[in-house]
Amino acid sequence: MLKKSVKIMNKLGLHARPSAMLVTVASRFKSEVFFTKADLRVNGKSIMGVMMLAAEKGSEITIEVDGADEVQAMEQIVQVVQSGFGEND
Amino acid sequence: MITKRKLVKGSAISGGIALGYARVMTRGVPDIVELVIPATRVRGEIKALEEAVEQTVDELGTLRDTAGKKMGLAVTKIFDAQLMIATDKEFLKHVKQEIAEQKRNARSVYHSLVQATTLPLLGSRDIYMRQMAKDIEAVSSRVLSHLSGYQKSDLRFPPNTILVGDYFSPGEILSYRQRKAVGLLVSEGGRNSHMALIARALMLPVVMVRGIWTSVPNHAKIIIDGTEGTAIIYPDEHDWSEHQKKKKRHGPALITRIKKLTQIPPVTKDGQSVQIAANLSLLGPANEILSAKKIPVGLYRTEYLYLAHDDFPDEDTQYRYYRRIAEQYVGTSVVIRTFDLGYDKLASRNFWPKEDNPALGWRGIRPMLELTQIFKTQIRAILRASTQRNLKIMLPMISETRELLRARKLISQVKFSLRKENIPFDADIETGIMVEVPSAALAADDLARKADFLSIGTNDLTQYTLAADRMNSKVAHIYNSFHPSVLRLIQQTVDAGHRFNKPVSICGEVAGDPLALPLFIGMGVDTLSINPNRIFDMCRLVGKIDSHLVRHLVGSVMSSSTAQEVTKKLEEYSRALGKRRTFTIRK
Repeated sequence: MLKKSVKIMNKLGLHARPSAMLVTVASRFKSEVFFTKADLRVNGKSIMGVMMLAAEKGSEITIEVDGADEVQAMEQIVQVVQSGFGEND
Repeated sequence: MITKRKLVKGSAISGGIALGYARVMTRGVPDIVELVIPATRVRGEIKALEEAVEQTVDELGTLRDTAGKKMGLAVTKIFDAQLMIATDKEFLKHVKQEIAEQKRNARSVYHSLVQATTLPLLGSRDIYMRQMAKDIEAVSSRVLSHLSGYQKSDLRFPPNTILVGDYFSPGEILSYRQRKAVGLLVSEGGRNSHMALIARALMLPVVMVRGIWTSVPNHAKIIIDGTEGTAIIYPDEHDWSEHQKKKKRHGPALITRIKKLTQIPPVTKDGQSVQIAANLSLLGPANEILSAKKIPVGLYRTEYLYLAHDDFPDEDTQYRYYRRIAEQYVGTSVVIRTFDLGYDKLASRNFWPKEDNPALGWRGIRPMLELTQIFKTQIRAILRASTQRNLKIMLPMISETRELLRARKLISQVKFSLRKENIPFDADIETGIMVEVPSAALAADDLARKADFLSIGTNDLTQYTLAADRMNSKVAHIYNSFHPSVLRLIQQTVDAGHRFNKPVSICGEVAGDPLALPLFIGMGVDTLSINPNRIFDMCRLVGKIDSHLVRHLVGSVMSSSTAQEVTKKLEEYSRALGKRRTFTIRK
C-alpha cells in the first residue's frame, strides 16, 4: 500500500470538473484508491465521494493506493493534482 | 402566505414579462417517507432504483444533446458532470447495500445518502463547493422523481405556468422551457449564475426575490417583470392590462417580428442606410431569425463561454463556437469581443485578486494583457474560425493607445505562428476597440488611426464620465447617458473615427433607446448594436427619420446643460415625428 499527502493548489479547489478528472484517472487502475481529508475517508473512484471532501484550495488530502498497479496509479493521481488539473492561472 | 395583492421588488435575472399562474416546485422538501420493507421487497426496490437511474441517464443525455444543439458545447459540460454523478458506481453500490441491510425503501435510502454528501458542501464557505451541492441535487431530484413513479418531465404545464422555487438548475430550466413554462420566480441565484445565463439565452423571464418561494400559494395569479425585477402576486385588473401591454412591446414576440422586416439594413426617409446590429451572449433561439435576416452581430460577448464552462475553454472548444457563429452569419459580419472579465463579471471568483476599487481595476483588456496565454489562445481560435472572412475582433475597455498596440502585437504573434503552421485564417481581419473610458474618447483621434473600427460602450462611458454607479441608489439619479458631457464624448469619438475613415458604432443600452435614435443618426453613427428584442422597433423607426433634418436636433441637444433638458428635447422631437406611443426603456 502506498500513501502520500498532497495539497490542492488549483484556484477553485476540488470543484466539479477537477473532481471528475480525479475520479476518471483513479478508475483507470485496478488498485483501490482512497482519499482522506481531516477524518473523512472516501473512495477515490466515486465522484460523490470526492465531491463530499469539499476540498477547497489549499486543503491537504492524503492519497492511499493499494493493489497490483499501485505505483503507476499513485504517480498519475499525484501528477493530475500537481498539474493543477490543467487549469490556467 | 400572501393572500391579497402584493408587489415585491427583487433582482432582474432575465428580462421579459410573464403573466400567469404560480406553480410552486417543492424540491428539497419532498415527500420522502422512510418505510421498513419486507425482505422479499429488497430486490424489487433495487430494481426500481436501477430503472430510475437509467431513466435519469436517458433524460440527461437527451438534454445534453438538445442543449448542445441549442446553445453549444458550454452547456453540454454541465450535463456531463451530472451524468457522472448519476452513474457513480460506488455510490449506487452503497445505496443498494443500505437497502438490503437496513430493509428500507430505495427512495428514502437514496435521499438520505445524497444528503450526507451535500450537507458538508452546503456548509462550506466556498461558493464552488455550494455549487457542487446544487449539481448533485439536480441529479438526485430527477432520480427521486422517477423512483416515485409519477411526474413525467415531457408533460406540458398548463398554459401560462410561472414556476416558483428556490433555485433551478440549467437542466431544469431547459426542460421547463420545453414544457412551456413562461417564467420563473426564484429565491436564490444572482445575475451571473448558470441559471441566469441559460434563462437569458432562452429568453425566459426570471425574477429573484429572497425568501419568496415559501410565501406564494400554488395556483395564485402572478405577474413577473424580469426587466424591472418585480413580481405582483394577486395582481388587480389594472396591473394585468398594463403588463400585457408592456409584454407586447418587450416580449420575445418582438424577435419573431423581425421576420417581417423587409429592408435590412434599414434606410432613413431620405435614403441613408443605418446599420442595426445585435448584441449576443450565447447562441440562443434568436440566432436563427437574426442570421436568416442577415442582421449582423455588433457584439458577441465571449465571457459567457467562460461563465458556462466555469473556466477558460480551450482553443478547440472556442474554435468550434466561433466557427459555428461565423458559418451561421455568412453574408454578414460578427464582431467577437475578447474576454471582458473583472469588475461585475467574475468578481466573486476566488482566484481573482481582491480589489478595493474593481471598477477602476483589473478588468477588460487589462487582465488579458497579463494573462497573455489565455488571450493568445482566444485570438488563435478566432483566427482559425475566420476563414469565412466575416469575423472581426474587438478589444474591450481600451483606456490608452499602449494597450491597443500591445494587443495588436500579440495578435500579430499569433498570426505569425499560424502562418508558420500553414493554418488558414483571414489575414485582413479587422481589429477594433471599445471606447468606454473618457480617456479613450478624448484620445479617439489617435486610437482611430490605429484601430480598424470604434465601438462606444455607453454604459461604462456614462458611469466613468459622471463618476456614478447606476447600481448605487444614492447616485443612480446622476447616471444618465443623455448627459451633455457623455454626448460630447460620443460625438467626438464619431468625428474622430470618420476623420480616419473608420466606422463607429454604439453598443451600450442607450443604442436601443428610440428617443436617442434621431440624435445618433444626426451625429453620423454608422451602427447601433442592440438587444435583439429592440431590433424590430428600431428598424421601423429608422424609416421615419430624415437624416438631414436631424442635424439641427444635434446642434440644439449639444447646447443643453442637463440630461433632463436633452431628454425633453428628444421627447419633443419624437412627438413631432408623429409617434403616438412613447417608448420608455430608460428611467
